[in-house]
Amino acid sequence: MERLSRRSFVKIAGAATGAAALAAAPPVARAAVGGDEEHAEKINPTTGVPDQPLVAYVRDAKRGEVTVTAGFSEHTYRDRALVKRLLRAARKGE
Amino acid sequence: MSSHREAPSISQDPVADNADTYAFVSPDDPTTVTIITNYVPLEGPPGGPNFFEFGDDVLYSIYIDNNGDALPEITYQFQFQTLYRNPNTFLYNTGPIGSLTDQNWNKRQFCTVSMVRSPHRQGLPGFAGSSVLGSGLACPPCNIGPRSTPNYDGLAATAVHHLPTGETVFTGQRNDGFFVDLGAIFDLGDIRPIQNLHLIPSPAAPSVDPLKTLNIHTIAIKIPISKLTRDGSVPKDPSKAVSVLGVWGGASRRKIQVRNGNGASSSQTGPWVQVSRLGNPLFNEVIVPIGDKDLWNALNPINDNQFEEYVNQPELARLLPVLYPGRFPHLAAYSKDRADLHAILLTGIPAGIVPGFQNFTGAKPADMLRLNVAIPPAKTPNALGVVGGDLAGYPNGRRVFDDVVSIELKAVAGATIPLVDASFTPDAAVGAVSSYLTPAADRYQSTFPYLGTPHDGFDTPSS
Repeated sequence: MERLSRRSFVKIAGAATGAAALAAAPPVARAAVGGDEEHAEKINPTTGVPDQPLVAYVRDAKRGEVTVTAGFSEHTYRDRALVKRLLRAARKGE
Repeated sequence: MSSHREAPSISQDPVADNADTYAFVSPDDPTTVTIITNYVPLEGPPGGPNFFEFGDDVLYSIYIDNNGDALPEITYQFQFQTLYRNPNTFLYNTGPIGSLTDQNWNKRQFCTVSMVRSPHRQGLPGFAGSSVLGSGLACPPCNIGPRSTPNYDGLAATAVHHLPTGETVFTGQRNDGFFVDLGAIFDLGDIRPIQNLHLIPSPAAPSVDPLKTLNIHTIAIKIPISKLTRDGSVPKDPSKAVSVLGVWGGASRRKIQVRNGNGASSSQTGPWVQVSRLGNPLFNEVIVPIGDKDLWNALNPINDNQFEEYVNQPELARLLPVLYPGRFPHLAAYSKDRADLHAILLTGIPAGIVPGFQNFTGAKPADMLRLNVAIPPAKTPNALGVVGGDLAGYPNGRRVFDDVVSIELKAVAGATIPLVDASFTPDAAVGAVSSYLTPAADRYQSTFPYLGTPHDGFDTPSS
């Protein structure tokens, strides 16, 4: 990741929302916010989405670009591994 | 229309659709400037039970450029909050609304006004340069009818808020002061009553104003001139650069919206993204082609050099000779760039063109209303503004009653080319190009917020 390491991004994301909503495509998968992809568990949130959700979306899959919006800020990072995992999580939800 | 539903995307989002922007020296308080931005175009007065209102999730902004750089030195921001007294009734009001605190009024809206003095940082709430000038400012209800809002003018008057910082603010429903024969003009550029001269002729008939029974939502703010000029002065010399302010309005939404699917309101996140703006009337509507209109709304005046070609060679000027065969031979033959329109719309009119007047802000092309605050309000206003010899009217800012359709139609048709090109003689038909409308006096009022009482839903439309 050019601006931020994926590990630190995930850490910040989790801290920002408590339960980060990574919305490359629904449904939200825990794997996308950390943990082992192989042990990803599909969850159905029992609580509402936070008022100001943290949203990450794949901006350009080929270039490995993911954009993260939180609060009033938005940053785009290049993290091919994270994008790959988000895409994999999206496919699992189909 | 001026900018009502003028672009594909914003036509789907009325609460964020900036329909008109006005800026003028207040006629009853000439040490102040009044700026008005209107939203929610084409409000049918009976539109209940959820009567019209501002968007709680929209950031409304008024931008002022006081040094000619096409960037805002001062931004006023307006945000709204809707509150219910009783969510268990379908009614907007459960009895007559006698005051802004009446217990019978169920669905109420309140405004927070902020000011950002920021060189080129456009409006993030919480940004260090932002200060809240007033909050919890009640909007009046919509004008429902004689049972629900029996003393509407009295109610609306109490929704004029005087802020401790010197500004006066009103946010709420008003009569839409803009007028145009909408049905004709978008029927292939027809102009009643000269439709007998049109390429597809029909018998001459009087012009029609469909907006005369419609309302709008108004954000109006009256500001001491000394708070707006670059040096804090109240200019008296129209020839000075400090006398000219650039003004435009805009609306923004958060970049991401998440629909929760549980009946609760949606969530937003991310930076504000501009979805609508308006400086000169009809700019995006008539000058910018449909494929670029959404882009224009998303950009700011500083970026307007990319739209210069549409001003220099306006499509409407090419259409008029086709739509009115044989009536515009001089216009049809004129192939030079339209320096007159470029000045009116993008740079302001330099000194030496119109005696006693200038509103030039520099060579940087930017669509803004340009108001020379050193020119006092006219004692006998002419709705044709500068074209009609009234230097206090459009394109010197814009007053609520200015006939901007006639002014801009005449300008595009060639009336203003001789100001910059003495070799051009306007076609005789320029005199026949007009809105052919004279709005009723009650569309306006002589005091703030200057737009008249909104039509009530019980009586409008009448049978």
